Amino acid sequence: MKRKCFVGLAVLWLTAAASAQTIEHAEALWREHRYTEANDSFRALVAAHPKNPDYRVRWGRLLLERFNPKEAADLFREALELKKDHAGALLGLALIASEDFENQAVELARKALEADPKLLEAQELLARLALEDNDPKKAIEEADKALAISPDALDARAIRATIDWLEGKQETPWIAQILQKNPHYGRAYELAGHFFVLNRRYEEGIRYYRKAIEIQPDLWSARSQLGVNLMRLGEEAEARQQLEKCFLNGYQDNPTANTLRLMDSYKHFVIFKTDNTILKLHEKEATLLRPYLETELKRAIATYDKKYRLKLDRPVQVEVYPNHEDFAVRTLGMPGLGALGVTFGYVVAMDSPSGRPPGSFHWATTLWHELSHVYVLAATKHRVPRWFTEGMAVHEETAVSPEWGDRLTPNVVEAIRRKKLLPVAELDRGFVRPTYPGQVVVSYFQAGKICDYINRQWGYDKLLAMMNEFATGADTEAVVRKQLQIDPAEFDKRFLAALEDETKTVVSNLESWRKQREEMAKAARAGDHDRVIQIGTAIRDLYPEYVEAGSVYEFLAKAYEAKSNKPAAVAELDRYMRTGGRNPAALKQLATLLEQTGRPKDAAAVLDRLNYIAPVDPDLHRRLGDLWLAQGNVEGAIREYQAVLARDPIDPAASHFNLAKAYQMANRPDQARDHLLLALEAAPGYRPAQKLLLELSK
Amino acid sequence: MRVAVLLLWCALAASASTFYVAVGGLGGEPDYEQRFSMWVREVEMALKPAGAEAKVRTIESATRDQVREALDWVAGEAKPQDAFVLMLIGHGTFDDHDYKLNLRGPDLTAAELAQLLDRIPAGRQLVVNMTSASGGSLEVLRKANRIVICATKTGTEKNATIFARYWVEALRDPAADTDKNQTVSALEAFRYADRKTAAAYETQKRLATEHAILEDTGKGEGVRAPSPQNGEGLLAASFPVVRLGTAAQAASDPAKRKLLARKEQLEQEIDRLKYQKAAIPADEYKKQLSALLLELARTQEELER
Repeated sequence: MKRKCFVGLAVLWLTAAASAQTIEHAEALWREHRYTEANDSFRALVAAHPKNPDYRVRWGRLLLERFNPKEAADLFREALELKKDHAGALLGLALIASEDFENQAVELARKALEADPKLLEAQELLARLALEDNDPKKAIEEADKALAISPDALDARAIRATIDWLEGKQETPWIAQILQKNPHYGRAYELAGHFFVLNRRYEEGIRYYRKAIEIQPDLWSARSQLGVNLMRLGEEAEARQQLEKCFLNGYQDNPTANTLRLMDSYKHFVIFKTDNTILKLHEKEATLLRPYLETELKRAIATYDKKYRLKLDRPVQVEVYPNHEDFAVRTLGMPGLGALGVTFGYVVAMDSPSGRPPGSFHWATTLWHELSHVYVLAATKHRVPRWFTEGMAVHEETAVSPEWGDRLTPNVVEAIRRKKLLPVAELDRGFVRPTYPGQVVVSYFQAGKICDYINRQWGYDKLLAMMNEFATGADTEAVVRKQLQIDPAEFDKRFLAALEDETKTVVSNLESWRKQREEMAKAARAGDHDRVIQIGTAIRDLYPEYVEAGSVYEFLAKAYEAKSNKPAAVAELDRYMRTGGRNPAALKQLATLLEQTGRPKDAAAVLDRLNYIAPVDPDLHRRLGDLWLAQGNVEGAIREYQAVLARDPIDPAASHFNLAKAYQMANRPDQARDHLLLALEAAPGYRPAQKLLLELSK
Repeated sequence: MRVAVLLLWCALAASASTFYVAVGGLGGEPDYEQRFSMWVREVEMALKPAGAEAKVRTIESATRDQVREALDWVAGEAKPQDAFVLMLIGHGTFDDHDYKLNLRGPDLTAAELAQLLDRIPAGRQLVVNMTSASGGSLEVLRKANRIVICATKTGTEKNATIFARYWVEALRDPAADTDKNQTVSALEAFRYADRKTAAAYETQKRLATEHAILEDTGKGEGVRAPSPQNGEGLLAASFPVVRLGTAAQAASDPAKRKLLARKEQLEQEIDRLKYQKAAIPADEYKKQLSALLLELARTQEELER
């Protein structure tokens, strides 16, 4: 719904029409779901009474309800220009901020209450925001304040009921009170559904959404969320049914429309099932990616079965999206998500390696990270704080291989230096409602480091014990006290001391490192290789974890190469790779240098690592296939040559011929012959293939 | 058909030369200057193995006079049985009327370039205009017996191009030789560079701002995918841009003429069979193809003895 209209004649018409309009009329139209007419009515009222902020606020609320927060916000701001402390306008902006989980929602709601202390909706919003911050105590306080304003405050009661349900209480007096006042108040259950989903307790969330529409079938927002969450858990048929119902009844918000659109694209996806996995890949890359993803998925499951001492009771479904925005819609119903992977119970959705620029995404790290969530969520029945499940997942990334996972980025170093890390008991805030840019990333890092620290100091069993303790509903403070036998504040003190000790070199040298790296880059541009080597060698170990663009390792390797010192170049690139460097060009160069210096096995190992980073690269697969074939790793070579063929190669003759050679070495003559014929069909005069054909025909 | 044309060309090639001129235009900034010069040098290196048969002239950061001088040299030296390849690397502009190749000093218009090319007597010509907006030059440059390849489909694709990078790669990558006759034809090089250019944009998650086209009938609009259906690509398929091996030295030994004729016949039979593939049961097709390929391999072996 749009507020804009043609100016000029339209204004005249509206002015005339407004005489027939009243706010009561506009509100009545809105109540009757005659949204277009209501919108016209508000527009006419605002045109006729440009100095009336109330009309703008009510119009803004209509637009907010009808999925147009941007123009709603404009109207609220215009109202505030007319009356700077308009409580309704402040509340409107608070509601918009809360939808985006923006920190200023609390501040705006408070200002609204200052302007009008009896503004019940603002007080109820504060209760909701406190609970979203995982602070039930505060949420209760705020809800009680709302009840003091009005004994009819249904949302405040719904918050109290939700807190009881989240704590595992089956019976709560609050819901009975709500239903006594309004037996069709589905919003109460919808609110509960919202919080269960926020706590990753999707199945329970779905149950509450079902209850919401059971008592209020036309509560489309709840029905839409039911659809979105059913889809998250892979229940696509019912999800589509619910979402279509919303859409056909005029509830066409972005998540509903986007999710339906995404579902239409599912006809292009292929599903591969095994006993414990379901893999959903886009048809254009399914043949290429399946061998890599399926192998890794099964390896992760086998590893986690043992580590978490838990056997999953159903297959894990992994969906891989080549279009990042599809993944975002799959996750949130909206484009624009920064994450790489998301877990909903037993369903994992993630970016495809083809969905990101090569080198920016280690897909296997993401897969293992998300699989860890599947286990932790299953073990705790989703009753686990965000920091712990993220911390475990980050911890597992480097447990698979120290080269995996994310490195210490400059932003994180800054956060440590400025002492911006949160106490463990409050760490969830850093994920849900960040207060500075980049805090979510910092919180991931901190959570991972906390789990690393616990693993080092108390052992992995203690992490499992904590996980199981969380499953009982205990909060972080209680779990830390019981399992680690330490006060949370003392834990924070010791953890930060250990982290500061671990990072002191980089934290204290970051500025100097930055300046010298710039100096080194300048020398590289001037072709002064000796200077590059001099500076690079001096600063490399001040910040060894830096493997992003323009890493010291890469500068050094190029300088050494320019001076024809291949062994030194190899050593630098090897350090870069083992520290977690992922630039495909640099790693391929390392493989080339290793081949040139007579180390083909090491070259193959480097290229094999690239399969986790940039597998959509035919050149990589061909080179690795050649190396492995020469080294007698026939099955490996077959996989690589098949990968070349999976993407419609530029040179089909050579690609089929290579595969034919590998099959011949694997003593699979029928397949060898088939691919040989395909090679010669593409290029009948291809001599090496002709020779092999003659050999096979003897 | 294609094979027969190629053999004829190979036979002619024994006494003919190919003239190559590669021009690097004005970069405008150090990064582009460096890139254009590097690609021009790489063209030169890729053509080196072609030996005396290839007469190569390259100009980095060229002026209009240098381009004129190079084309005058070809006009003076080339004979009708010779071939000529012009490769333009750099930036170009198009203002809805004129295409201009950006050079040091005054630019060169497409019309002026066409005049210079028309004076070259080489019977077959290939112009590879790899600049931005190069599609704007097609209408003026196209001519019978001249293949024109442009990095962009129109003059309005104005962003700097990367097609040249992959064209250069095609000249030295055996993978570009898809029919494995040890010669990279203009069509093979075009397809290779076009595929790699598209893949580069896709991989980097960038919107493709260049779409290469080919025209070799002298009257067409230029197409993205030359094929028998659209009538483009026939000349380009038989125009060898670079030879990767020794196969081009076709046997002129009279004793082997019979074998050569048999080889040619088999290749034509294979082409025919492939054309009928959809109409033949898969097993039967495989059987017939195997037999023909085996005989072709044996014939080739005999020829090499």
